[in-house]
Amino acid sequence: MVSAVGWRPYARVGEIGAYVLLVEWVRSLAGGAPHAAVPSLVIGGAALGLAAVGWRAQSLGLDGSHLGWRIIGGFALGAVLLLPTAVRADAAPILPAGLALPAVAISIGEELAFRGALYAALDELGGAPLAIIGSTVLWTLAHAFSHPPAFLGAVAAAGLVLALWRWACRDLVAPVIGHVIADLAL
Amino acid sequence: MNRKRVTLLAAAAAVYTVAAWMVAPGFYDGFGPAAPYNWVCPPAQAGSNIKPSSGHLSINVIGGVSDANSAFTNDGQIVIGFLPGAFSATGKSSISVDITPLTTCPNPPGVKLVTNVYQITANATLKQPANLEMVFSNLLPAPNNIYIADNPTGPYRQLQSQPTRPFVLQAQTSSLGYFAAGYSAASPPPGAVTVGGGQLLPVVAAALIVVVVLGGLPLAIMRRRRSGGAEGEEEEDDDEG
Repeated sequence: MVSAVGWRPYARVGEIGAYVLLVEWVRSLAGGAPHAAVPSLVIGGAALGLAAVGWRAQSLGLDGSHLGWRIIGGFALGAVLLLPTAVRADAAPILPAGLALPAVAISIGEELAFRGALYAALDELGGAPLAIIGSTVLWTLAHAFSHPPAFLGAVAAAGLVLALWRWACRDLVAPVIGHVIADLAL
Repeated sequence: MNRKRVTLLAAAAAVYTVAAWMVAPGFYDGFGPAAPYNWVCPPAQAGSNIKPSSGHLSINVIGGVSDANSAFTNDGQIVIGFLPGAFSATGKSSISVDITPLTTCPNPPGVKLVTNVYQITANATLKQPANLEMVFSNLLPAPNNIYIADNPTGPYRQLQSQPTRPFVLQAQTSSLGYFAAGYSAASPPPGAVTVGGGQLLPVVAAALIVVVVLGGLPLAIMRRRRSGGAEGEEEEDDDEG
């Protein structure tokens, strides 16, 4: 028999999942309006970050232990994410300087939402496998709003790398740093 | 971190590398162009390319006044909007507007063009400014302005332009002719003021690897010294599902 308490983790996952998908959908829609790209990314990043409110830092993978390792890990993740593009630098797109702050905002917001709050809620519900797979699936779905379908395989694979790091090291600092580096450099 | 976790992470990194290799470089968080730019003369890095399309519009004239309407190419790379009464329409029942991408890529003096050149023609004279939007690519430095010329080879005159969305410039024009987006050849390319991408990328990736190696070594030594006999304390496996 499932008690009311037993449904709480499901409800929490549903709420967070629906919230982050809604925010990503709205920000991708709003970003297409004239002059709205920068505000939609900055506000969207902040709204995604709100998903992490109420969680303990440790549950999110944000406690301060081994900070040096976490930062080094972030650089390593950044290098992994950049490598396929770095070796084809001639074809690399250019990120205009005006989008640097939005890139940082959305990177941090997405990590707090997907590998932070959503991962923690899924972990609570079904353990690490569900957290890794679930957060990666929702991450990929969220990017379907803003990316052509051809890119979604690479987006999913990037999400899987970041989620596995979150699991293996119980750390969100490195995914945040790696994601920010990748978004800034690409 | 135990061996199983390291192996899974390494496998995921390998899968990512293959997946990322199979698509065009760069898939940042939704602030790229909506679609790859269709080039007349694609830059070397463009990869596969679709030729740009043309556009046609027939504007109704009612009571001697031309309707409001917009002409655009089928690929959406250029859009021109006309207000009511934008054309001298005396004696006409409709006005034809055509947009055609130039089949050559002129290199006029004084300006560096970073988009296709489009010729916009109409069978009536424009008497009110029209609103023009041009999409540009992220593979070349971002343009500052839309330019207009009476001849495809120039001279090109700058139109006061502003970005309305990422990779879209907007300007007003009081005449039709040849249009392209670009920047003054006398100034450094606006793309020089960028955060990343292009030739900077290998340097960034190499620097990250150096930081990881140089930073990781002393941290590893410090950790080994500090942990001493306390090994194993951090290898709890409480989240295996």
